[in-house]
Amino acid sequence: MVKKFLLMATLIMSGMFAEDAYERHCVPCHAPLPTSLQRMFMNHLLVYGGEHNFKAALKHYLRYPSKDISVMSDLFIDNFGIKEKSTLSDEELDEAIDIYWSKFKVFNKLK
Amino acid sequence: MLALKNKATNSLLKSEKKSLLRFLVLYTAMVMLMIMLLSVFYYQGQEKLMLAQERATLSKYAYIQTKRLKVLHHFFDERTTYPRDPRFRSAIYDNEFVKIFSLAKEENIYFDKEIYIAGNMIHFIETLDNYYLGARYLVIEVDDDTGWRTEIWRRIFGYGSVIFIFFMLFGFYLAKLFLKPMRDSIVLLDRFIKDTTHELNAPLSAILANIEMMDMDVMAEKNKKRLARINIAAKTVSTLYQDLTYLTLEHERRNEDELVEIKPLLEDRVEYFNAWIQSKKLECLMDMEDVTIIIDKRKLTRVIDNLISNAIKYNQRGGTIGIELREGMLMIWDTGIGIEKEKIPLMFDRYMRFDESEGGFGIGLSIVKKILDEYHILIEVESEVKKGTRMILKW
Ligand code: HEC
Repeated sequence: MVKKFLLMATLIMSGMFAEDAYERHCVPCHAPLPTSLQRMFMNHLLVYGGEHNFKAALKHYLRYPSKDISVMSDLFIDNFGIKEKSTLSDEELDEAIDIYWSKFKVFNKLK
Repeated sequence: MLALKNKATNSLLKSEKKSLLRFLVLYTAMVMLMIMLLSVFYYQGQEKLMLAQERATLSKYAYIQTKRLKVLHHFFDERTTYPRDPRFRSAIYDNEFVKIFSLAKEENIYFDKEIYIAGNMIHFIETLDNYYLGARYLVIEVDDDTGWRTEIWRRIFGYGSVIFIFFMLFGFYLAKLFLKPMRDSIVLLDRFIKDTTHELNAPLSAILANIEMMDMDVMAEKNKKRLARINIAAKTVSTLYQDLTYLTLEHERRNEDELVEIKPLLEDRVEYFNAWIQSKKLECLMDMEDVTIIIDKRKLTRVIDNLISNAIKYNQRGGTIGIELREGMLMIWDTGIGIEKEKIPLMFDRYMRFDESEGGFGIGLSIVKKILDEYHILIEVESEVKKGTRMILKW
């Protein structure tokens, strides 16, 4: 009974998160990777800086991933390969990236 | 020689004084401007020097802070405490100049400069190669100790005033140099007049004495008229001679002040000019009370002679001369050409003459003014062009 309830709850919860473009399109594929999206964010930020640059560069990367311009280490890429080209629509991609940015951006987090 | 020099300086005209003043004002302004410009350059130079020294320290701070940011970047999210340092305050901005985090007091940062001073603080902007925490610009802020600034101001004022004094002295020297030819010619003229005047005395006395001695009774009417004209001419020259003597010699003499009865003196002088008055067919109205004054009689005579002879000289034929004498007031008026209001203040200047057609050196009125000033007697001039002039002395 309890197990059933928990299962229901997780299902409902995941259903709710599924509303979020980022949770829907990015998290599932990234979940098994050893480097967190937080760290990838920081790696990307280190190279691309400010919001506009960051978003534009990431969007480009998601559309045209390549070993040459990846911010991930060679070791990582050798083990896990380059990601696949995203087939998401412009709007979905923008939405996901916007959420990604606001979720991990450094602003207001420093003390 | 010294006396001569002083006299030459004294005889500077108002217009000469004016141009001298103008030159000095302009010169002073230029010197000030120059000193100001020099000060600005000096200040900026010193500021640059100071900043150059400061830059080394600040870029060291920036290097340290960058390393700390790097560490924080790698541990971000687990660690969120921005690295602090007691020696400086810092801030980070991304490449869109959006503030990521700031400990700096100043919010307005000029990213186009590398180092600058604003509001008693020095700001140093370091551009990061790696955008740790997304930061493109690292701003290092320290308080500017104002000691160097006070020192610069002290030096600017010190050296500035020395330079100013030097240039002002130089300016006076220059002005003197410019004025020298002018002075020289005045001195020369003065000396010439002095010498000539001296030589005039004997012949003039001879002419006047001989006119007096002539026997008018046996003379034909025609010749009487001619003699009268000679008399007038000789007296005009005599007045001029007296003025010149006064100007060149007399004033070196000590005053012989005495109690002078003005009325008889006036009558005597009118009598002296009578032939001239007659020849111009002037009417002479005299309204005089018995008044005395303590003065050098020869000087008072110069004043009266000049005022009366002007009243005659500038009068029209058949006009009127009036003399009014009261306690503390003497007025001599005429119905002559008059002078314009603007020229009244200038009329006591030496060598100024209003009507080119009339003779005279124009030194008469300058002598009048000099003497009146000496005895603190006020002179008022009321004049209307083509109507006449009133000269009013008050004491
Ligand atoms: C199909 C699986 C997959 C999906 C979907 C996916 N990623 Fe990735 N992502 C990867 C892999 C694998 C890497 C590491 C290899 C690489 O960098 O190409 C990666 C790398 C990244 C990086 C590092 C980029 C770089 O320059 O190396 C970022 C940032 C990132 N993902 C963000 C996202 C976001 C945001 C989304 C959602 C819009 C997303 N990813 C969707 C698989 C995926």
